[in-house]
Amino acid sequence: MNPPRPTPTPPRALQSRDLKSLARETDSPRGGSLWLLAPEQIDQLAEDLQYDRLDVEQAALRQGVIPERYARSLNALTQQDQLALLESHVAMVGLGGLGGHLLELLARSGVGTLYAADGDSFEPSNLNRQLLATAQSLHQTKAKAAQARCHSINPSVRLHVRDQYLDSDGMLDLLQGAELAVDALGELAPRRKLAQACHTLNIPLVAGALAGWSGYVTLVRPDGIHPVEFMGGDDSAEKKLGCPGPTVSLVASLMAAEAINTLLGRPALDGRMLVVDLRDMSFETVTL
Amino acid sequence: MNIELKCFATLGRFAPENADAYELPDETTVADVLTALGIPEEEVKIIFINGVKKELHAPLADGDRLGLFPAVGGG
Repeated sequence: MNPPRPTPTPPRALQSRDLKSLARETDSPRGGSLWLLAPEQIDQLAEDLQYDRLDVEQAALRQGVIPERYARSLNALTQQDQLALLESHVAMVGLGGLGGHLLELLARSGVGTLYAADGDSFEPSNLNRQLLATAQSLHQTKAKAAQARCHSINPSVRLHVRDQYLDSDGMLDLLQGAELAVDALGELAPRRKLAQACHTLNIPLVAGALAGWSGYVTLVRPDGIHPVEFMGGDDSAEKKLGCPGPTVSLVASLMAAEAINTLLGRPALDGRMLVVDLRDMSFETVTL
Repeated sequence: MNIELKCFATLGRFAPENADAYELPDETTVADVLTALGIPEEEVKIIFINGVKKELHAPLADGDRLGLFPAVGGG
């Protein structure tokens, strides 16, 4: 089971603390001032007040103070958007090619709570594309590498990671408490199971897949159709064409952007599928 | 008539040289294109014409953009 959600209101000791008085005032690129809290100040406040860094960052944004680690996401994201991301809960299945890049982007973007699962360990053939695969992490579990990476790039994110391959029941369990799911799997059969679990629990799903230099990204509504439903058996093209790094990281970036769009209530690929090909640099959005 | 044909991933090996202006007789369907190029029907999982998903027997018109997508599941 995922841990219970904390109450959305900030703890009292944080609410009554004037965080703006601690913040560094700087010029906003849009005019006026920005108030920034540096990462070490977040660490110190969390330690002094005995709260998670995530609580401190949420409280800061409610007071109009920006955790500095997110300052360069402004004004692509508003302060309200950033707070909404910090309050979001996203479940992701797979921590390999797509999953490693997605974890990186969602954590750096400040998506506050992530539930993730992968039962695999790194092997040399992962090194061409998987962000979490390094000489040091070879033969380690993907779950362990994900936890370490997430802590090093954004320790405010609550990442709950399971070192296991999920069956249908496991997917239903992972999705508990999430408002969005991400399909970062690498084969057709488990993708179908995840789509079914999202349908059962009424959770939207951002999905992406690739083979060679071609790939797609889509948002599957709970009553919508995952493209995998059109794809028949389990003989898919990536076995012949491989999974080169640029296609993997591009598809993951597009998925991360659509995950953020969806969390902020402005999805772009609702019922549509973005199809890309990097050999001829073509992008087309098609209606399913 | 001419169409613009895009064959994704493993279907790329069937793409004609003049895929950007692929010449076809009038009243051609997607199925006719697969036959002409020797593309096995079962390898084509998603068909789109001018950005909208279509079925195998959809008719084609001059200037259409036809996309053929196989089973793709890697990550």
